[in-house]
Amino acid sequence: MWVKLIGCCLVIFTGTWGGFMIAARYVERPKQIRQLIGCIASLGSYINYAALPLAEALERSTATVDGPVRDFFTEIATIINTKGWVSPGQAFVETLSKMQDKLAIYHPEREIILMLGASLGAIDRNEQQKQLDLAKAELEKIHREAIVERDQNVKMYRYLGVCAGLTTAILLV
Amino acid sequence: MMGKINWEHTVYPVLAPKLSQLISATAARVRDQAMEIRLRINRPLLVITTGGGIFLGTDGKEAAVARTAYHCSRDDLGQTMQLISKNSLYAFEEELKMGFLTVAGGHRIGLAGQAVLYNGQIKTLKNISSLNFRLARAVPAAADIVIPYVIAGPRQIYNTLIISPPRCGKTTLLRDLTRQISNGVSGCCSGLEVGLVDERSEIAACIDGVPTADLGPRVDVLDACPKAEGLLMLIRSMAPEVIVTDEIGRAADVMALNEALHAGVKVIASVHGRDVNDIASRPYVGELINQQYFDRYIILTDRPVIGTVGEVIAGKPYKVLFRNEIGVKVCGLS
Repeated sequence: MWVKLIGCCLVIFTGTWGGFMIAARYVERPKQIRQLIGCIASLGSYINYAALPLAEALERSTATVDGPVRDFFTEIATIINTKGWVSPGQAFVETLSKMQDKLAIYHPEREIILMLGASLGAIDRNEQQKQLDLAKAELEKIHREAIVERDQNVKMYRYLGVCAGLTTAILLV
Repeated sequence: MMGKINWEHTVYPVLAPKLSQLISATAARVRDQAMEIRLRINRPLLVITTGGGIFLGTDGKEAAVARTAYHCSRDDLGQTMQLISKNSLYAFEEELKMGFLTVAGGHRIGLAGQAVLYNGQIKTLKNISSLNFRLARAVPAAADIVIPYVIAGPRQIYNTLIISPPRCGKTTLLRDLTRQISNGVSGCCSGLEVGLVDERSEIAACIDGVPTADLGPRVDVLDACPKAEGLLMLIRSMAPEVIVTDEIGRAADVMALNEALHAGVKVIASVHGRDVNDIASRPYVGELINQQYFDRYIILTDRPVIGTVGEVIAGKPYKVLFRNEIGVKVCGLS
């Protein structure tokens, strides 16, 4: 009896946890996209007005954010600083694949970030600003969609997780 | 005039890993005498020394003929450009337009490639196919021979123009003159406040705006600043007693120097040329000569060796104070 009870609790807990985990990614995604937009805007200022070297500009642009987005930019800056012969584009690809699990970003924003990375440092300030503005505008659009998705899905996945756990427990009993 | 180069900190970090490895493997004698490193896509790696050009082989040793030398690849130049620009070409737009960049240590890197034009003006360079590392060497005491001719009194120096063809030690002499004037010369002149407009970042070799070359305690540096604007900015903001700048030539430079000379600030400048007559016939800078703004002309030559003081001439009245025929004087080897 006790074993069944404990088993049921574990199944319900696992289902709920799974649901909450999926919901958490929906919550995290717009937050991280918003942080990326902020960093890109800041990066534009450091490149355009202060003409800071890319690694330093990347580091400084994360001053107001924390978590995976900060780690992402800092890691790219470290690669550029320590292995200067690696292009920013390569550094973006390498870091993005390394931090895939920590970052709650999907294919569309991934594409935009990689495209931006490929252009960084290789063109003049005007063109650089155009690329940054373009990336920002695209991310803004995705951010709006991500908010809609979050509002639609967060509650649903949380309930779904609990319900799936309960259903499985009932079926097992 | 051969000072030491800090290869580990100033040259290797801006060379592609393969090139850095080859040059570090070369004989110490070659590195000690190196004046330039020339990189060209699909062409042999060439080091120009005081004794002539040396091709480097795939093991870093001297190659007998160009065919057996290491041939630089497109990747080598691409990676070197990334390292020089710190992956930030946008920060070097003006330098790219002028065709050179300066790195730590004051080494000037000349670029050649494909020019991109906009409205008939060079917008930037793309497809960089040749790089020329012109290696800078700090030579303490390089100005020892000429400093007695530059000092006018206990707190006075003469307006001085250094005239020299390229690669004759003009910047090295200017750097040491700046240091000695800033430090003061014992028994002759106390230290003076010096303003340095270092448009090409070669004299002070600034990193993040801080000079890495020894310039003494009384120098304010405007790094990577156009000379004309920089000269006026320094006069207004830092109240220098002496202003030092390199390679004057444009109309705006001459106008700014005029301002400085009229403001009572002493000027030490350099210009590319062979002798005073050569400079006097040039537009803009010739006006300064014809109107006798300078009190001293120091003429450098590379014969018999780089850094040889050819002549020191008083501007008013025009009189040769020193001529190397009397006995060759080489800056830094006095």
